[in-house]
Amino acid sequence: MTHQTHAYHMVDPSPWPLTGATAALLMTSGLAMWFHYSSMLLMALGLLTMLLTMLQWWRDIVREGTFQGHHTLPVQKGLRYGMILFITSEVFFFIGFFWAFYHSSLTPTPELGGCWPPTGITPLNPFEVPLLNTAVLLASGVTITWAHHSLMESNRNQTTQALGLTILLGLYFTVLQAMEYYEAPFTIADGVYGSTFFVATGFHGLHVIIGSTFLIVCLMRQIKYHFTSTHHFGFEAAAWYWHFVDVVWLFLYVSIYWWGS
Amino acid sequence: MASRLLRVCGALRALRRPPAAPLRPPGPARALAAGGIPSDEEQATGLERKVIQAMEKGQDPYNILQPKRYAGTKEDPNLVPSISNKRIVGCICEEDNSCVIWFWLHKGEPQRCPSCGAYYKLVPHHLPH
Repeated sequence: MTHQTHAYHMVDPSPWPLTGATAALLMTSGLAMWFHYSSMLLMALGLLTMLLTMLQWWRDIVREGTFQGHHTLPVQKGLRYGMILFITSEVFFFIGFFWAFYHSSLTPTPELGGCWPPTGITPLNPFEVPLLNTAVLLASGVTITWAHHSLMESNRNQTTQALGLTILLGLYFTVLQAMEYYEAPFTIADGVYGSTFFVATGFHGLHVIIGSTFLIVCLMRQIKYHFTSTHHFGFEAAAWYWHFVDVVWLFLYVSIYWWGS
Repeated sequence: MASRLLRVCGALRALRRPPAAPLRPPGPARALAAGGIPSDEEQATGLERKVIQAMEKGQDPYNILQPKRYAGTKEDPNLVPSISNKRIVGCICEEDNSCVIWFWLHKGEPQRCPSCGAYYKLVPHHLPH
């Protein structure tokens, strides 16, 4: 059995970091192939490799933590630091796009008509679907907190229901936003307004989809009894990520949808 | 998460005095039966379970908590647990000293730090298997 005298986890050799790096190479070169030579093969291969890497790497982490008991308190502490650092890096990623938005919107150039929104752009009414989206995400923040407290209080039914409701709200947001994208009177090609709008909200939407996927995985694990009332870091990480997605939306709503209209 | 930190603090306090009562919170013996969500007591396995069980007995075989502080005198030497007959000790003689005094501590008579003279005694113990 274990002969270590420390509480840390020395991970067994694994191929997934290498397959992950391979996926990164295939996706980046595949993107270039798609842009310049109209071939989507390499990128498709890259996406497939990335998907397989993620599935198997995270499956292994669940096995190591839940089934083999390697996630002692110090290991958990490290995982917490890791998730917080990752979310922080994502915050800086979005800061870049907000910087771009404010750079262009605070001093609109003569080419735009010297005004924001630029001449010819009819922005979306912030008090219609975008406001509903805000309410949906805020509500999902409440339901995930409800789920967490139910989990800590050993209430299985409420945990499952609240987590399921959170996921439904997340999917509702995605559907609403997709419809907004379809119906919008402007496109990504409509000057800097279009660029900043769709790149910022687009990356946010991608993060909503990622967060929803993380929550769905948590729901599956919850149903299979992986989480205990005191040890459920996967759930906490998903909740942190979901709150981060919610906060980014609030900034997007206030900056781009409301102030920017 | 707060409950885990509290458990560590509880274990820390328990290590300083013999545990009067088990650290398990009162309630149904099987949380799975009560609310449907298992407890660590029921479901933890592997190293995690060993750590939890040792903490409940007031032990820290995997050196998770800070080493216990002793007076460091001849009568009350710093007790240094070890799974073999010797262990490296790093003595920070005064708080905030950046120069750590390293030396091998051997089983047997207490040794003194070559710099500040604090006493250290090796306490051999076995890992839970």
